[in-house]
Amino acid sequence: MKEIPEHLSRMPDNTAVKQQKLPAHEVRFSAKFVLCIFFGTGAFCLCVGVILILSAKRAKKIEINYTTICANCAELRENPFNFNRECRCSIPFYLPEILEGNVHMYYKLYGFYQNLYRYIKSRSNTQLVGENIKDVKDCTPFTVSRDGTPIAPCGAIANSMFNDTIMLSYKLNSSVQVRVPMLKKGLTWWTDKYVKFQNPSLNDLPSKFAGSTKPPNWPKPVYELDKNNPDNNGFLNDDFIVWMRTAAFPTFKKLYRRLYRIHYFAQGLPAGNYTFHISYNFPVTRFGGEKSVVLSIPTWCGGGGFFLGVAYTVTGALTWMASFALMAFHLAWEKKKVTPKE
Amino acid sequence: MGWQRYRQGLEVSNHRTIYINDHLKNNFCPNWIRTAKYSKWSFLPRYLYLQFSKAANAFFLFISILQQIPDVSPTGKYTTLLPLMIILTVSGIKEIIEDYKRHMADRLVNKKTVLALESGKCKVNALADEAFLIDDAFYLCPLLALPETAGVQTEKQLLSISGKIECEGPNCHFSCFTGTLYITDRSPVPIGPDQVLLRGTQLRNTQWIIGIVIYTGFETKFMQNAVKSPLKRPKVEKVTNVQIHALFLLLLVMSLVSFVGALFWRRAHSADMWYLKRREEKSHAFGFDILVFIILYHNLIPVSLLVTLEIVKFIQAQFINWDEDMHYKENGVYAVARTSNLNEELGQVKYLFSDKTGTLTCNRMTFKKCSIAGIPYSQSSSRELNDPTLLANIKNGHPTEEYIKEFFILLCVCNTVLPERDGNNIIYQASSPDEAALVKGAKNLGFVFTMRTPYTVTIQAMGEEYTFEILNILEFSSNRKRMSIIVRTPTGQLRLYCKGADTVIYERLSKDSLFMEETLTHLKLFATEGLRTLCVAYADLSEEQYQHWLMDYKSASIVLQNRIQRLEECYDTIEKTTHHMIYQNCQDLGNMLGKENDLALIIDGETLKYAMGIGIKTDFLNLALSCRAVLCCRLSPLQKAEIVDMVKKNVRAITLAIGDGANDVGMIQRAHVGVGISGNEGMQATNNSDYAIAQFSYLEKLLLVHGTWNYFRVTKCILYCFYKNVVLYIIGLWFTFVNGFSGQVLFDNWCISLYNVIFTSLPPFTLGIFEQCCSQKDLLKYPQLYTISQKGKTFNARVFWIECLNALAHSFILFWFPTKMLEHDMVLQHGFTTDYLFLGNFIYTYVVVTVCLKAGLETMFWTKFSHLAIWGSIIIWFVCFTIYSHFWPTIPIAPEMAGQARMILICPYFWLGFFVVPATCLIKDIVWKSIRNTQKGSLPLNSQQLESSKAKGFEFSSVFEKR
Repeated sequence: MKEIPEHLSRMPDNTAVKQQKLPAHEVRFSAKFVLCIFFGTGAFCLCVGVILILSAKRAKKIEINYTTICANCAELRENPFNFNRECRCSIPFYLPEILEGNVHMYYKLYGFYQNLYRYIKSRSNTQLVGENIKDVKDCTPFTVSRDGTPIAPCGAIANSMFNDTIMLSYKLNSSVQVRVPMLKKGLTWWTDKYVKFQNPSLNDLPSKFAGSTKPPNWPKPVYELDKNNPDNNGFLNDDFIVWMRTAAFPTFKKLYRRLYRIHYFAQGLPAGNYTFHISYNFPVTRFGGEKSVVLSIPTWCGGGGFFLGVAYTVTGALTWMASFALMAFHLAWEKKKVTPKE
Repeated sequence: MGWQRYRQGLEVSNHRTIYINDHLKNNFCPNWIRTAKYSKWSFLPRYLYLQFSKAANAFFLFISILQQIPDVSPTGKYTTLLPLMIILTVSGIKEIIEDYKRHMADRLVNKKTVLALESGKCKVNALADEAFLIDDAFYLCPLLALPETAGVQTEKQLLSISGKIECEGPNCHFSCFTGTLYITDRSPVPIGPDQVLLRGTQLRNTQWIIGIVIYTGFETKFMQNAVKSPLKRPKVEKVTNVQIHALFLLLLVMSLVSFVGALFWRRAHSADMWYLKRREEKSHAFGFDILVFIILYHNLIPVSLLVTLEIVKFIQAQFINWDEDMHYKENGVYAVARTSNLNEELGQVKYLFSDKTGTLTCNRMTFKKCSIAGIPYSQSSSRELNDPTLLANIKNGHPTEEYIKEFFILLCVCNTVLPERDGNNIIYQASSPDEAALVKGAKNLGFVFTMRTPYTVTIQAMGEEYTFEILNILEFSSNRKRMSIIVRTPTGQLRLYCKGADTVIYERLSKDSLFMEETLTHLKLFATEGLRTLCVAYADLSEEQYQHWLMDYKSASIVLQNRIQRLEECYDTIEKTTHHMIYQNCQDLGNMLGKENDLALIIDGETLKYAMGIGIKTDFLNLALSCRAVLCCRLSPLQKAEIVDMVKKNVRAITLAIGDGANDVGMIQRAHVGVGISGNEGMQATNNSDYAIAQFSYLEKLLLVHGTWNYFRVTKCILYCFYKNVVLYIIGLWFTFVNGFSGQVLFDNWCISLYNVIFTSLPPFTLGIFEQCCSQKDLLKYPQLYTISQKGKTFNARVFWIECLNALAHSFILFWFPTKMLEHDMVLQHGFTTDYLFLGNFIYTYVVVTVCLKAGLETMFWTKFSHLAIWGSIIIWFVCFTIYSHFWPTIPIAPEMAGQARMILICPYFWLGFFVVPATCLIKDIVWKSIRNTQKGSLPLNSQQLESSKAKGFEFSSVFEKR
């Protein structure tokens, strides 16, 4: 029979793809292969787990919850009308052994939901990047003040910025107290400081912020956050930037200060008596929360807890157990398979 | 759709009158056709309408609209719209390509030139009442071959004819046509289907022809038949649809739970949330808050599933089309998947209905044996009848010599075969292969059918030439099961020759017929050998008898309604007088069925009529189902369809019907899967089938290999699509537990919406296209493997929900592990603290990795594409992530993502978790799988052969894996 041209046109070229004969390796796990992998993985996980646990153990941490210690201040802040009454609180503590290394000071809030939908989206990134100071449309419910002036920085996040001041002093001897030198810069991600947050212009901040007003909760406008240090003022203020990175959980830490390692503190924080001097401004009891201050030294893998180490160890252990179980299962099955044949 | 309107409009008119040479009076519809679905302008509205009439797409459109309401959407305004647009675009492009092909085909047909005669001029490509057509031309419309009685010779004469044709209105019945030609001053002439040339037919062996156009464009029988066969929906799709609805319910439940959670949370935190300034506590209505959560969780329903499946199945269909093993080299015919949505159904067929002749057997006939006047002649060694005693009997004046000669003359005369001279050789063009076989057989024995004119038949019998005048041909039909011919023999005798099935012939024999007993014995003998048998008989007619009948016949033949019936009655009257019979038979050369019959039921059409009666239908069905094979003989097309229907309705099993002829169309359309043999007996079966193959034997590969593979591919692909969506989007639910049920999302909006479109879009394709659960060799060697897909145990509601639970477990691990890891906020080396998106990106990366590796775990057959898809997807995510977090503020999107990649990729915690989190998820899977596989080792089907053929030990082979 003659072929109709139509057939010629759809004559396939016989490639391996079209004939479904692609070279491939079929993954047929043999018992040996799976068991090897399982034992290998288990061993690896166990090792890493142990290392992590050990290094997490080395990390030192001091946390002092000052909600109850400064109960009178907390009570004062219960009433929003007391907002301009100052309240100070001192918390002495004893450091039994030296905290060696780069000591970081954090504040930690309990029960503060920075991850609420309406909270997270209440910010204006175009404003923060310094492009348009009056762009406040995303900032509900803190867009404009009562007289209609746009707020800078606008939004719930900025408005609720943590405004306690925490100072650490070291008792050199019974009479002399020195202030522990702390750095208030270098607390932020590089991109935050250099990309995400920009002042309208570095010079003459107040005029650049003209036409805007401070957030209602703030005692002073944004260009007075750190008057002495133009690199740390306005939107570029490190404390502000740190706060603006909204935490994932209702309980969170935020980096507050870094130890400036000079003089007595070149090695870290020596053992001895210390006092936290806290200017208590941030109300937490109103929403049923608490706050504390944390001193910590991050290790090579950060300063996190034991979880990852435990996870590795447990996974490793489970993998081993599973491989033993599989082996037993396999052997039993083999036996069962063999016996009826004979 | 224009043509549908035409169809409906014209269904009403039963008659049509065509005036010859007076085309102003005629009312034709334009002679163009359109099979394309869309035009340039109608594309968008029609396509969108089609797409949004699918529930899933409508749902996503609804979500996209909801997202436009300010303040409702936690995921941005366009994050559902964009993937939806991408998906609609992809499937739109597919539609355009397919429709473009149809447009091209239409254009080709519409642009075909024809010669038309109109007012004395030849016009090309115009419609006229009459048309000259050149040999081998295609006809654009059914033409009526003017009977020669018109007696025209010149063009002028042709134009001067006046008259009319009355005929039936446009309809879809190919094989019937009734009309009457009235030419002025002449007696009316009946016109039957024989005189009609349908659109698409090819004229052969004819120098020229004059025709009259009857139907045009959409009114042609061909177009009237181009009705889309009923849409068949595969079982897997049905299961999937149910699950989608269940998932939708789950979505509502989740939204409700979150909403209730939100209420409780607010009550618990009724203290002063000063940082939020909850001014409009009550402003959001109940419905409004629910909507937030519906939008939050809506991606639980995989948006890309439909389009993924469409593409996957399209390519699977191409694999069938490309398959060289299903390429019939003799006539260059490939298998054709005419629909792609039944691919996986091929792997689930439980009952197979096959037409026998021409399908199961290859319909090649040879004249094998005959019994003439009570003497059987046969030849065992050669394939064709060549019995020396037969030849000797003819030559040596055996007492039965006359009968033998009469027998062969009958074979030469009583047929509708067309002899075609090719040099010295004569080629017989026959519409049915048994006729050709008989004529060929006669030729071998010296009775050569040499020439046919409309009114004569010339044969050469033993060297002498005889011409028979044909008076009437009483055609073969499947109802009559016989054909007869009335001839005037060279000696002037009127004679009726009849040929047909043994039962119908015997019924019509006169009581004093000769050789009845002997022939019947031989008939049985031949039949038990598995030969196809036919009886032939002749009767001498007297002149008055014939004239009397002729009158009846003529009056019957010009009636428009019920002509066929009347004619058949009429035929019957004359055939009853038959009273001499001879008998012969042919053999079917096919491979007979019957390898593993424990018990087979054989039933014929007459009996079946009773068996299908109301009372005993179920009993019959049970009996039939208990047998290994059921043979139903001599069924009408309707009965075939009825049987398929009965099994389909009463047994919840997938049925497949395979056939080659027009009489199989009913069952092909009725069965879950219809397969047509594209070959000799016309295109009817093929045109109505879902798959067309050239040989019955190709069904083996189509079912065992393509069916099994496609089933596993499609089900894996579906399960995987659901899995990956559940994994990612349930995380949203976990996150609500720590964010006060506020509806905040953990990931960047665009990451969420591109998840299905980019980052995890490739693995479902490799699973759906390249996955092979078993090698082709094994599948063909161990047909038992087919039972796994046949029983559909790898995809049902249970498997689906187990997979969803598994996804739930994965999402649990994927959310809570990183959460616990980052709880301490001190994971970065310089003591920097992190934000919610940092956690989100951790989780998102782990999700992508886990989901891709899970695809790897599902993949049994790693081709280069699998590697590309799995490792590629992970790499794509990392690259996109890095680029994406550098967008802000140059490109004003994703301010929150700025700097994320930079910090995450240097975070040791991230890399530590990068190993342990996916590993924990998947180790669980591997363990689970291996245990299940080990248990499944006791499956009966794989016991011994398979073990020896494959590596010992617990197989991870997905063949046994029931998840």
